[in-house]
Amino acid sequence: MKTPAVTHETYLNRLWRRFEADRFARYGLRMVILLFIVAALAPFLANNHALIRVADGRITFPIFLSLEPIEWRFLLYLPLAALIYFFRRHVLEHAGFSLCVVLAAVAMVEIVLAISHPVNDPSNDRDRPASFKLLPPIAYSPVESTPDQFAPPSWKHLCGTDSTGRDIAARMLHGARISLSIGFVSQSIALLIGIALGGTAGYYRGWFDIAVSRFIEIIECFPSLLLILVAISLFESQNTMFYIMLVIGLTSWTGMARLVRGEFLRLSSQQFTYAAQAVGAGDARVILRHLLPNALGPILVTVTFGIASAILIESSLSFLGFGMQAPTPSWGDILSESRRYIDFAWWLAFFPGLAILVTIMSYNFVGEGLRDAVDPRLRIK
Amino acid sequence: MTTYIIRRILLLFPTLLGITLLTFFLIRLAPGNAALLKGGGGENGARAMTAEQREATIKLYGLDKPAYVAYADWAWRIVRLDLGESITDHRSVAAKIGERLPLTISLAGSALILSYLIAIPLGIAAALKRGQFRDRAISFTVFVLYSIPSFVAALLLILFVAGGDYLDLLPMYGINSIDASEMGTFRWLGDRVLHMILPVICLTYASLASISRYARVSMLEALGQDFVRTARAKGLPERLVIFRHALRNALIPVITVFALELPVLIGGAVIIESIFTLPGMGQLMLQALEARDEPVIMGVTTLAAVVTLLGYLLADILYVVVDPRISYE
Repeated sequence: MKTPAVTHETYLNRLWRRFEADRFARYGLRMVILLFIVAALAPFLANNHALIRVADGRITFPIFLSLEPIEWRFLLYLPLAALIYFFRRHVLEHAGFSLCVVLAAVAMVEIVLAISHPVNDPSNDRDRPASFKLLPPIAYSPVESTPDQFAPPSWKHLCGTDSTGRDIAARMLHGARISLSIGFVSQSIALLIGIALGGTAGYYRGWFDIAVSRFIEIIECFPSLLLILVAISLFESQNTMFYIMLVIGLTSWTGMARLVRGEFLRLSSQQFTYAAQAVGAGDARVILRHLLPNALGPILVTVTFGIASAILIESSLSFLGFGMQAPTPSWGDILSESRRYIDFAWWLAFFPGLAILVTIMSYNFVGEGLRDAVDPRLRIK
Repeated sequence: MTTYIIRRILLLFPTLLGITLLTFFLIRLAPGNAALLKGGGGENGARAMTAEQREATIKLYGLDKPAYVAYADWAWRIVRLDLGESITDHRSVAAKIGERLPLTISLAGSALILSYLIAIPLGIAAALKRGQFRDRAISFTVFVLYSIPSFVAALLLILFVAGGDYLDLLPMYGINSIDASEMGTFRWLGDRVLHMILPVICLTYASLASISRYARVSMLEALGQDFVRTARAKGLPERLVIFRHALRNALIPVITVFALELPVLIGGAVIIESIFTLPGMGQLMLQALEARDEPVIMGVTTLAAVVTLLGYLLADILYVVVDPRISYE
């Protein structure tokens, strides 16, 4: 039997087509991808070791020697990511949901592993004599103090230097890793809690639903920045990146839970759910295979806006001085330092501020485009 | 209606209980305590006092009791409206909050009023030209503003208009100039207003986005209603259709979103007060957190929670009052 020649369009395909039609959403997504690439490549873009060094007739690759495998293993994933991006239509059509989940999980583990590695190699290889050397575009390490203090932006230091002569461009490139991964990991935590609590509440209803709904209300009535400040400032000694990710994740799942609960309430009384239950599908199968994929659109929207707000929260925390311990460079940290020198060192505030703004705006544009793609009635045009 | 309000007020209490319990146990779970910080904190703090002194300090602040007993004590005091006294300077928490509250309220209040005054006309202007250049320009601008973190905006504003190497139009920080005590009433007031301009701008612009978006959607919805078509059909001028028929109905949901802005404003105030060194609630909270001043932290968070909860309650009641079609009976 021949299959009829109807164009087969999955839910994700349709989402993507509508998303791509939105110019700003497209720009936002490209910017986010670019930021991720820059963050992944940060050790190769800003490092005081040469990429290639020729001396005494020997060719060496000092950067690779100075880095742990965990830090450059990332590189292997970039071609894979590019491949998926170029064949996105086919990927979405044939593999869809489950592949996306698996890839996202693998990518997340790799990202976290790579960036959780502290940058603390102040050894300077840049000025060692060699007959030929290829230096990274920014030939400074984020923790290296140069003799130029408060140097304004120039060709030597693209974004200037701070009070101890550290190169701001190098610090910002490495700071991108923190901002991006905090957003990603904390929202994954929020996603897991939100789906688990909101999903079971919406599917099983009854007393559990009432309890979860009350709990969500309690958390939401709390100005979340205050709660996060309490949790972070009191446990200051444990202020690692993971603790901050965890706290942000644990305080920002309520929106996701409310959304998933609502979607599940709506979906679980629809025909296809009854059909699945009628043919004997268990609760887990109904939830994971039928309800969750149908709620995917609004979930993605919430995650995207959640990432933007998590990045904002992290930079606010670092700015207030409750962020990660030095010498880990973070955008909020540079901004926080800039307050003391605000009357002359404009570059200390301008560049990290711009970076935070661009990142948050890109995510917001992606979220906005996704929202319009999920629910075209809201579209401006 | 009355039963609904009473039920809502009764529901406030379990929520408040949950919030305060959460904060209290978070403070108690954290390593170290205020008594150790009195001696300077950390290893040195432990050595600065003798064991007896430390015991006495811990006992004085009730830190030796188990957390649930301490919470019950605190809750019992709260019922009698007593917030306790601060660990750092032994002044009553109510007095400490009382002297800082007016500043934060005036800051957040003027930001809220200002953002409504700007956002509603913006939202309506966008809705009336749906899909056209004006709509897209307004939506885009507001969206970009929404994406700028308030502290980045604050730093850049300070850099470019307050002192620094560029324009020097407005004061950089504080609530008054140094010579404020010698000024006359009017000069003092003018000086205060000048100091407030930048903080209020920074708190205002982010709320613009959500309120104006709300106003736009709500106006679009109202314009699509049957009664608007009827008004047009009976030959009313467009101005009357928009302002008398559509606008009044569009404003109902917009008024009630102020409640959603409250937690945002409270969080924003912490950051803004820290940047402009304004002695408000946010600064009090940061100082209390640094000193592990349990009664003050509890007092401020409880107050913030009560304000937010009352905001939500007021929004729900207003919703019924301004729109008789909605009923909770």
